[in-house]
This record gives sequence, C-alpha cells and structure tokens, in this order.
Amino acid sequence: MKKFNKIITLLLIAAMVLSMAACKKEKSNYEIALITDVGTIDDKSFNQGAWEGVVEYAKENKITHKYYKPTEKSDDAYLASFDLAVKNGAKIIVCPGFLFEVPVFKAQTTYPDVKFIILDGAPHAGDWNPVINDNVLSIFYAEQEAGFLAGYAAVKDGYRQLGFTGGIAVPAVIRFGYGFIQGADLAAQELGLSAGEVNVKYTYFGNFDATPDNMAKAAAWYNEGTELIFACGGASGNSVMKAAETAGTKVIGVDVDQYNESDTVITSSMKNLGKSVVDALTSIYDKTFEGGKSITLDAAVEGVQLPMKNSRFETFTQADYDSIYSRVVNKDFDIKGDQDVTSAAELATDLVTVTVIE
Amino acid sequence: MEYVIEMNNITKEFTGIIANDNITLQVKKGEVHALLGENGAGKSTLMSVLFGLYQPEKGEIKINGKSVNINNPNDANALGIGMVHQHFKLVHNFTVLESIVLGRETTKNGFLKKDDARKKVMELSQKYKLMVDPDEYISDITVGMQQRVEILKMLYCDNNILIFDEPTAVLTPQEIDELMKIMKQLVSEGKSIIFITHKLNEIKEVADRCTVLRKGKYIGTIDVESASKEEMSEMMVGRKVSFAVEKQEQNLGEVVFEVKDLTIKSKHTSKNAVSDVSFKVRKGEIVCIAGIDGNGQSELVYGLTGLTHIDCGNVFINGKDITKESIRKRCKDGMAHIPEDRHKDGLVLDYTLKENLVLQTYYLPKYQNHGFIKFNEVREFARKLIDQYDIRSGQDEDSLVRDMSGGNQQKAIVAREIDRNPEIIIAVQPTRGLDVGAIEYIHKQLVAQRDAGKGVLLVSLELDEVMNVSDRILVMYEGEIVGDLDPNQTTVQELGLYMSGSKRSVKNEN
Amino acid sequence: MRTKLSKMLGNSAVASFSSSILAIVVGLIFGLLILLFSNPSQAFQGFGTILLGGLQDGLAGMGNVIYFAVPIIMTGLSVGFAFKTGLFNIGASGQFTVGTFVAIYIGVNWTWLPGYSHWIVALFAAALAGALWGFVPGILKAVANVNEVISSIIMNYIGMYLTNMLIVKTVFDQLKNQTLPVAASAQIPKWGIDKIFPYRSVNGAILIVIFVVFIMYIVINKTTFGFELKACGKNPNASKYAGINAKKNIVLSMVIAGAISGLGGALFYLSGAGKYMQVQDIIAIEGFNGIPVALLGLSNPIGILFAGLFIGYITVGGFNLQSFDFAPQVIDIIIAAIIYFSAFALVFKNLLGRVGKKLAKREDEKDE
Repeated sequence: MKKFNKIITLLLIAAMVLSMAACKKEKSNYEIALITDVGTIDDKSFNQGAWEGVVEYAKENKITHKYYKPTEKSDDAYLASFDLAVKNGAKIIVCPGFLFEVPVFKAQTTYPDVKFIILDGAPHAGDWNPVINDNVLSIFYAEQEAGFLAGYAAVKDGYRQLGFTGGIAVPAVIRFGYGFIQGADLAAQELGLSAGEVNVKYTYFGNFDATPDNMAKAAAWYNEGTELIFACGGASGNSVMKAAETAGTKVIGVDVDQYNESDTVITSSMKNLGKSVVDALTSIYDKTFEGGKSITLDAAVEGVQLPMKNSRFETFTQADYDSIYSRVVNKDFDIKGDQDVTSAAELATDLVTVTVIE
Repeated sequence: MEYVIEMNNITKEFTGIIANDNITLQVKKGEVHALLGENGAGKSTLMSVLFGLYQPEKGEIKINGKSVNINNPNDANALGIGMVHQHFKLVHNFTVLESIVLGRETTKNGFLKKDDARKKVMELSQKYKLMVDPDEYISDITVGMQQRVEILKMLYCDNNILIFDEPTAVLTPQEIDELMKIMKQLVSEGKSIIFITHKLNEIKEVADRCTVLRKGKYIGTIDVESASKEEMSEMMVGRKVSFAVEKQEQNLGEVVFEVKDLTIKSKHTSKNAVSDVSFKVRKGEIVCIAGIDGNGQSELVYGLTGLTHIDCGNVFINGKDITKESIRKRCKDGMAHIPEDRHKDGLVLDYTLKENLVLQTYYLPKYQNHGFIKFNEVREFARKLIDQYDIRSGQDEDSLVRDMSGGNQQKAIVAREIDRNPEIIIAVQPTRGLDVGAIEYIHKQLVAQRDAGKGVLLVSLELDEVMNVSDRILVMYEGEIVGDLDPNQTTVQELGLYMSGSKRSVKNEN
Repeated sequence: MRTKLSKMLGNSAVASFSSSILAIVVGLIFGLLILLFSNPSQAFQGFGTILLGGLQDGLAGMGNVIYFAVPIIMTGLSVGFAFKTGLFNIGASGQFTVGTFVAIYIGVNWTWLPGYSHWIVALFAAALAGALWGFVPGILKAVANVNEVISSIIMNYIGMYLTNMLIVKTVFDQLKNQTLPVAASAQIPKWGIDKIFPYRSVNGAILIVIFVVFIMYIVINKTTFGFELKACGKNPNASKYAGINAKKNIVLSMVIAGAISGLGGALFYLSGAGKYMQVQDIIAIEGFNGIPVALLGLSNPIGILFAGLFIGYITVGGFNLQSFDFAPQVIDIIIAAIIYFSAFALVFKNLLGRVGKKLAKREDEKDE
C-alpha cells in the first residue's frame, strides 16, 4: 500500500522534473527548414527532390537544417509548422508544392525576416491573385519543355504507339502533356515518318493515387498495343509501372528521376527540384537573393531535363540529347503550354495522331 | 478407528469472507458420509481444498493416516480421490468406452489398445452393477446413464474415495433409487463416498454419518441412524424449519389464464418443442408443470410470456387473447414472470437494485416526467419493496445487483413481479439454487398470491416443491402434457413414471 | 479498518478514473522507451516536450489542442453512445465523412442563406446525413440481425466512395484536387474563444461539443430513453423480458451516434482552418480515433471530453517533438502507441479492481 503510493509519487516527481528540464533545454537551432506537404520526405516527388537540394547545399556549407512534418493537411497545420520552424531558429523555409500558397501568403507578413522558397506555387490569399513579398521566391518550372524532351526522345528511340496519363488536369500536368505531344511530332518529322504512324492516347485519371482502377486503365492501353506511357500523375505512375511490368512495356517517369521505381522506366521528364533549391539557397547566402517575384525555370537554366545517366534508351544517345536540349534552350521551337490551346486535340500536330480519352 | 480421509481444522478465506472456518471432516473407510449444508455453507470450498484447487490457510489433510499435501487435482487423483461433478464433463459424440478411457488411454506403438480397456470397463460395470453398454454414444443415453459413466470413469482409474456433488439434482425418482443402490454397492465393495447434498430424504436413505456445515462453520457430525430429519435441518439452517407449506382452504375462482393447442417448433430438431398443449389456470390455484429438464417447459414459458414466437395456438388472460401481444402489453394485462434464469433474463446485473425494481415500470407516469426519470420516486418505491420483502444488500437500493446474493436477487424479482399486482404469475424454478430459508420464503409468497385469488403457474423440476406447493400437477414429457394429477392423490413414484414417459393418462381436456 | 486506497479502488468512479490515468502512464512509459531507443541523448528532453504537450505555447497551444480534440471527441461520443446500447459503431468514419461532405456542400453552394443561419443549416444537415449513415446498420441489425460491425464497415466504404464521387461532381477544386473553400458565413463563429486561446483555428466548435457532451450525459443518466438504452446494452435478454423495445433502441442509438459523428465532421471542416476534403481512397481516420477516445473515456460523456482533449494534447506534444532529432515516423509511432495504450483503460480497470481487493484482504489480515 505505502509502496504503491511511493511509486505514484516518484512517477509524478519524475514527470515534473522532466518537464522542467524540457523548459530549460538549450535552444535547438536549425537554420534551413523544409516543411513536407501531404506525403513523407521520401515521396519520390516534391518533398524528396527539394529536400535533396537542401541537404546538398547545407552539408557543403555546414549549415544546420531540418524538415518538419505538419500534423495534418490544412493551411493552419502548415502555419503551425512555420511557427515551430521559426521557433527553432529557421531563417529559410523551403515549401515544396502549391499546397503552401495560402500559408506562405499569411506567413510572409508574420515573419518578414524569414525567407520563403515555394516551389510550383505563388502565395495568394485564396483568390489566385499572387501577392509576393520581398522575402519570398516563387519558383515554377517549364513543364512543357520537360514533356517536349521526353516525347522527342521516345519517338527517336523507336517508340510509335504512345500514351499519356495525367493525374488531374492541373496546369502543370497539362503542360507536360502538351509538350510531350509536340516533342513526339518533331521527332516524327525528323525521322520522316508518315502521318498516323505515331499515335498518342491522351487522358487524365482524375486522381494522383495508386489505385487498381488506374492500373486497369493502363493495362488496357498496353493490351491494345501501346508501347510506352508517359505516366504524369504522382503515385498513379506506380500503377502504370505495375501494368507495364506485367505487359512487358515501358514507362516514362515524371517530376524526379524515377529510374529506381521500376525497370520499365526508360527515362523521366524531370524538374530539377534539387538544383533549383540549391540555386535559391546560394543566392540567399550570397546576398544576391531577389525575392518578391515568380520565376519559371526552363531548359536555359537547367530547370528541366531528362536524366541521361539513368535512362534506358536503345538508340537515343547523349549526343542526340545534347543537340535537342540546346535547341530547346535556344527557343528554336514554340512549345505551346496550357494557356495556348484548350485541349490536347487542338494541338496542331503534323504527323502525330492524338486520341483524347475523356 | 481409522479414517481414509481426515481434514482437520481447515480454514480457507477469500477476500472478506471466511469460506471455511476451522472445519473438520473425517470419513471412515467403507461409509457413505454426507456433507450437508445450504448454498454458501462452504461445502464446495471444502471439496476444492480436498481436490487441490485451493490451498487452505490452516489445517492439515491426512489420507489413510498419512499427512499429505495436495497441490492440484492430479495429486488428488494419485491419492485415489475422484469426483462426480454436478454437470457431467462428457463428450457427446464419444462412445461410453471412449469417454471412460479419455485421458488415460493405453497405447501400443501409438495405437489405442481398446481391448484391454474394454475388458476392465466390463468387469467394473458388472462388479458394481452399473450395466452400461460400452458402445453406445453419450448423446444417446439418459442422464442417469451418463452419471454412471462418470462413476465408471472414477472406478477405472482405481479411485477409492468418491465424491458425489449433488448427484440427484438431474435425476428422476426412479433413477435416484438406482443411484442409491449403486452407492450402497460401492461402499460394500470397500469404497468410501462423500455425498454432498441438501436433501435430507436422501441422506436418511443412504448415508451412515453426516457432517453439517453452516455459513462456513463446522456444526457437527452425527450418526444418521439416530438423528431425525428435523434435527438435521435445524443444524443446517440454524433454526426450526417447517417443511409443510401452509395453505388456506382452496377457493377456486373463474379461469384467469388459458392456453389452447399451443405448438412451438424446436430450434434444434425437426420435432416440436411444445406440441399441442392446452390447459387452464383458475383464480386461487397453483398449477404446477412438472417434468424432467428439457421436455419443453422452457420453450412453453418463453412462448407464453412472448419471448419467443408461437407457431400455433392461443393464450388468454381473463378471456382476452394475448397471443400476438407484445411483452409490455402482456405485462399490462396482468402477467408476471419469474424467469428460469434470473441472471440471463430477470435482472440487469450491472444496474442497481432500484433500477432493477422498476425495470418494467420505469415508463409509467409515476416514475417519469416528459421522459425524465423521477429518481426520488424510484428510490422511495425501491425502499418500500426492500422493506416489505426484506431484500438485503450492501448499499440498499444503490447496490449493484451483481453484488447481491442469489437469494436476495430472487427476492428482488419476486418483489417486483408481485408488487405489480398481476392476474397470473408464471414462476419458473423460482427456488433454484436458493437455500432453505429463501425457498421457504418464496413458497410463502406464491401461496399468499394464490390465497389472494391470483393464478399461479409454477414450473419446477424439484419434486418436493411440486408435491408440496401445487394444487394441480401437469406433467410434461417430450413437449406434451401427459398427466393431470392431484398432488394429494398421487405419489412421487407415480409422478416419476409420468415424467419418464412410461405412463400417460388420457389427454387432459378440462 | 480499510485504508483509503483500497476503499478508493473499490469505488467504481474512482477506479474508472485511476484506471484511465494508469493506462495513460503506461502508454507514456512505452513512448519513453521508444524515445530512448531511437535517440537516447535527447530522449528525456523529448519526453518532457510530449508531457508539456499543448502547454508548450501556453493558451495558444491549448487552442491547437482544442482544434484537434473537437473531431475526435465527437466521434468518441458517437462510439461511446453506441457502446451504451451494446453496439460497436465502427462506422463513425463513414458518418463523419458524409457529414463533412454535406457541410462543405452547403457551405460552398448555399450562399443564398442568410449569414447567421448558414453555418447552423450546414451543421444540422451534416448531423442528418450522419444519422442516415447510422440508420442503415441500425435497421439492418434490428430487422435482420446483421452484425453492425460488418454493415458499418461497408457503410464506411460506401460513404467514402460516394463522397469522392459527389465532391468531383459538385464542389471540386480541379487545381488542388480538393474541395472548394466554404463561404465565410458557413464557418463556425468564434464566440470569443479565440480571445481566450489565441490560436488561429480555434472557434466556437468546442462550445458546441461541450453542449453535446452535456445533452448526452443528461440523456444517458436522467431519461427513460437512456435507461432503456443502457438496459439493452448491459443485458439484451433482460431488456426484452422487461418489455423494452430493443429494436427501436438499436435503431435510435445508431441514428444518434451517426448524427454525432456527422456533426463532428462539420465542426472540424467548417472551422476555417483551411482544411479541405480530399478525393482519396482513405477512410477518415477521425472515426477510428474515436474508438480509443471512447475506450479511454470509458464511454462516459465527460470522460470522453477529457480523453479527446488529452489526445489532442499529446498530438500537439508530438508535433513539438520535431524540435529534436527524432524522425517524424518515430514520433508518429510514439503518439499512436500512447493513444492506443490509453485504450486499454478497461483492462486496467479490471486490474485495479483486483489489486483493490487484494489490498483490502491484506489489510484485513493485518488487523486480525
């Protein structure tokens, strides 16, 4: 009986001492912070790509860095994460993804001394009118160029029956898709193929998830003769890869280098997330940071690329790639984006037949 | 004198209760030694100590004069102690032989050697006149036979000390007679028997000596020959008990409850559980349905009270057809029901006593106002019943019913049912598991209702109860009513013949 | 003479409370072990942070606690209410989801409603939708004796897929793959709560939650309806014997449980915290978290209120734990462990009962 009392008392005292200790803890300090969006840090997408950039720069320059996971997906949870990061000494906060648009809009005034780097989005109050303060850099990517490179390489490498499966018809995904078709068309012209020889099936899944449904759709395409699908929709790409593994066909990955995801991935239509973060961080520490604006990173600044080292092309060579890349950098082509036409079917292709499947 | 068992000054306590307080039990070789006491007197605890299930705090056990430590039932078996439980532990789809050798199989190269076992079982069966057929399935033989199988099991493992735990509760009068003979045979062959019971007739018939316990205390050991039943019961209860139920002259009124051609299909077999049953209960009459357990009594009551669906037939209260009415409607029409299983049906064990006392009446305007329970009225009502019916519990109306004794739980049900001033009371085994005092009390209440001009339908398996309390006996066998008897003009033996289906009178058409 | 402790443990209310506390303590110790295992040097500081929970940031932090507690208290009440009738409402998730959708739909589209009534209509409609989702398993159980666990699970899936479909058809934000933002008039008023707890997402929802707790307490403990529900839960046979209409009570119990869950969804998503429904094939976690809340609160409305606040508190503590070098996955494990250990409150209650008896016995022996 007395023992029982003693144990309880001891436990309570221990708890109190610990709490006190926690209060007096030495201030932990992490200068560069990254807040993850819905996914985990190893999401093979924005979180991971951006975090790799943070780690690369911070390790080289010996700067403390840390990533934070919000308690849930909501604007307030992101804001709470900013609060915590700042409390722990963050001077720079990297925000991978458009989900941070509204939270960054609010936080840019709350924390004027903190620099925000937001990828694929621009801060706004929920009304889509960008308001970018001087401490914020908003980075977009020229997805149409990345898609263009992928489409070009695919046809050059010998693929004729192509597919495009977007996640949801958001602008970035649309740009990838339009670029892909136009790249394929250019390659068909250069190869002197006849009209109708290259076909592109084009659809949006309506979600970014890995579902049996998405896999079934992709498998159906492969059965009907599609050789290669540009899987442009987050985790739904994994469904396409699974279908390809069964059918013995190929896939083009998206956003980051998806070489390791599946043997069926011949290349990836990449945004150079890591480099863009490194560049932005460098500019901040060099005091050359120019905030208050949105920039779109294109091939000219290596914002988009195909990972040639990790590609599984048969005939498409590094030289071929370098050549087309420099032409894209030089803006030799007028690659149409989401603002230019309303549907993939309206793209003026010379040789490629596009079948849009609603 | 040499004793085969000596349990000297055994004390065993549980939290707050001293179950055995300095108890001594000495059994001679070759005697039937009765262990007499009410429920809760400490009989089971004492036997559990002997069986190694509990360790006593004080006292010693000697077997054949040698002090022993019994730590578990295996030790007890090794010392030759065996027990026939109240509820048999038999496997239904085994044969008699298989059941007997279960757990003690003799094998050769991993195969059963049934022949040796069969030989031994047959020898034992003949020696003790048990007459079992080793190849019949347990499910096909009668309860009495199953009990013999249990006895054979003990003999098969060479037990010399046999404990019978209330062995007659499940038997017909004829089977009880047979059992008595077997017990005598066993002791004449040198076995010793401890016979646990609270039925004095049986002790008188078969036992040599009798040890009486009361409330965990040792009262005494007597020679059965020289003691009267009254003396024994006084030792057991601690006061004089009247066995006769006092009833006033019967004053029969009109029919209050009528059942017509009632049929209920069995849930388990293709047979009818209740088949074409008709009877009437008049005001001022206790009609008793007797029969061996499982002959359709439970189903009949479930049908009458609305707990199960009736397939065919009608039920009337005061001439009003209530066959299709809800339970609550029946309740309002004057039906009271003291259920067979008070824990399952009669009480919400985790409700307080006061809540249980208004279980059927909480919705009446007296106890609620716009859906809000009037706790003060409920409390007052509960206090009134507690007073009137002498319901005892730790915290009065606020006690959890789960914490109350069986007798007081039953008193609570009886109080609740009778207080509603019903027309007909259906009481199913209302005294099951209760001690003598409580039985006496319940019987008095039922008789009082009869004397007040109510109808009472009593379903009972206890023949004493059937004979003493009822005004008329209906015997049920395999779902049918096979006899309509007057308790004053029949004997227990005759009743037994009806109950076992060996005799049936013309189907009653009253 | 019995000492206080054994007496206290004998008292059921005290036993309930202390068993919940004990469950929490065991959960915390388990959490500490994981901390020690993954990063010994900061384990104790980290543990202190968990214990400090929402208090780390004072009243603002407590505002965050309240925000997280609101939905799980509601689903906890839903599960706890059904428990009282002996039903296991594992369908709180589905009820929560359809309630959320209806609230958002009305919040986005019915802007013609006058401002002061917009959010009220949304809340009522959400409760109604949840009630419908509870009604189906209830009526199936009452009429055909279909196990409510199975039908509730099915209703969870139906709710999830149906909501996904309806979101895409009605209130979908193509660009963000989520629902459109609700009108400001559909957000629950702050009622000055944000002045007490200066945290951005806090609002009057907690007052509504407390109101529901109060109503549920009254219904369960003071009314004939509650009397019937509890009787059915504690002993269905005896309830039938007593003429209580068990079927009606089963249906009503599930309907009410569903309404509470549905209301919970509305309260959470109309909080103005910038939270949107996603189109994804995941069953709402808030519904499942209601189960440990109900268990920790031992199905008592007031107990559930505090259990929900506790879990909100721990969630915030876990979030703050990120100040140290623990992988977020480890933090998730710790928080989940603490929450689910708390669900063992009932086990501890039985354990304490036994300890209490033993103590009493020993004391009795000493007295002799």
